Amino acid sequence: MSSVIVAGLVSGSIYALIASGLSLVWGALGVFNFAHGALLMAGAFVAWFVSDPAGLDLGLTAGVLTSMIFMIAAGGVLYVLLVRPWLGKPAAELTVIMTTVAGAMFLENLALYTFGARLKALDQVVTGTVSVAGTAMQAQNLLVIVLAPVLLGGLALFLKLSKHGLAIRAIAQNDEAARLLGIRIERTYFLTFAVSALLAGVAGVMIGGLFNITPSMGSDPLLRAFLVVVFGGLGSLPGTVIAAYLIGLIEAASSYYIGIYWTPVVLFSVLILVLLVRPNGLLGRAP
Amino acid sequence: MTNSDTILAVKGLGKSFGSLVAVDDVSFTIRRGEILGIAGPNGAGKTTLFNLLSRNPIVADRGHVIFDGQRIDRLSPHRIFRAGLARTFQKETAFFKLTVAENVRLGAVYGAGLRGAAANAAVNAALEMLELTPLKHQEAGALTVYGTKRLMIASAMVASPKLLLMDEPASGLNTIEQAELKTLILRLRDQGTSILLIEHILPLLFGVSERVMVMDFGRKLTEGSPAEIARDPRVIDAYLGGVNSESAHAA
Repeated sequence: MSSVIVAGLVSGSIYALIASGLSLVWGALGVFNFAHGALLMAGAFVAWFVSDPAGLDLGLTAGVLTSMIFMIAAGGVLYVLLVRPWLGKPAAELTVIMTTVAGAMFLENLALYTFGARLKALDQVVTGTVSVAGTAMQAQNLLVIVLAPVLLGGLALFLKLSKHGLAIRAIAQNDEAARLLGIRIERTYFLTFAVSALLAGVAGVMIGGLFNITPSMGSDPLLRAFLVVVFGGLGSLPGTVIAAYLIGLIEAASSYYIGIYWTPVVLFSVLILVLLVRPNGLLGRAP
Repeated sequence: MTNSDTILAVKGLGKSFGSLVAVDDVSFTIRRGEILGIAGPNGAGKTTLFNLLSRNPIVADRGHVIFDGQRIDRLSPHRIFRAGLARTFQKETAFFKLTVAENVRLGAVYGAGLRGAAANAAVNAALEMLELTPLKHQEAGALTVYGTKRLMIASAMVASPKLLLMDEPASGLNTIEQAELKTLILRLRDQGTSILLIEHILPLLFGVSERVMVMDFGRKLTEGSPAEIARDPRVIDAYLGGVNSESAHAA
């Protein structure tokens, strides 16, 4: 039972980090970034390349810090190249799906070409096992469980209290009124993508410390994050976080008690039933 | 043309959209501490005039605007706001999922460029002025229509503007709220803010304005005291679409 909860919390933590970035972009710009999973992969690869003896061998701290800086820049560049040219044009939402899918494919193949197909893994930030309330778990798992809420809390405070966070929330509701108030929309969109990519990078580093790093490692988390965002309510950060942990726990419980092959059936049954009752998701509101 | 008693002097302002002349050679002045009303039928160019004065979201093709002794018709919208010319919008520009205080804070931070304690003080003062303090933590979407109107005014007043442009603040209000709004507008004026007021509800417009300017087809039709405007046949024609003059000819 306790191991199921630990597994659910680890998955939920990672889903929450990925999905909150996705939700942030959706809320502010109304577009879905299909390159979000590839950003996660890029964050893991950069951290690995800088830290691993097969790369620059500068140590894990340097790898993680470099990855975070790289992700902020990567998010901004992705926005400028793949999203900004289409905003305000007819069917921008559909065009951005195509451009970000193309961006994801480019990044994945770039990683494959540059680093090869051999499986890689990041060193764990903390090693060994710890016992919490009588439950033994990997120290890295505990770090993920503790760090994710801290980062999500930081994100919530940034959105609630900072000037730029207030602007992101304002634009998410009424970009025209925000423009009239003097908020620089494009700069805020850029920032939104940078923050979103940073969260994806953190998730990539976490996954890289627990599992393998591969060029396609972002595909499955992206699908999960999409489910989380819809389940939680489009654009709702609290809904996204709650949904992430619920899905993580449902998956873990279903895999343990029913079987891993039945997990998608159980998960999608729950999601569909909830969305039938609450079509806008757990905390989403009617547009 | 301008002197220290003049807060705003507009000369030959114009804007065209293709062959449509939306604002045509409009000139007027406002004195410090004055409320100048603007009346005119729909499509007369009143809101476009506000857009040109604030350069938000469109700019004039011709003419110039001197505000508080400074030419502002080439400044960016936020510089105009920070110079002391604020406006409210006809459409609702509140952010309904943000709290009342957060809405006003956006005006303080992005409009007025205030930071930290100065922003907090300005937000609290604006909330107090518009009697929104008890509602500051409430989501703006839960406000009444009049509450939303006051919130939009608070977001503009947070910068302590010298001149406030108000675009149809009474639309959607009942008669009791209109009376409260009238008191509020006069109070803002008494506290030192000059006001340029567009309003379709003429009893309110005439009740607060020292002078009224009437526009029609993008042009300034006439200007005078409310009493003079009320009996001006050109104004009656503009509002009634020529019915008055046709009736007169028929008679």
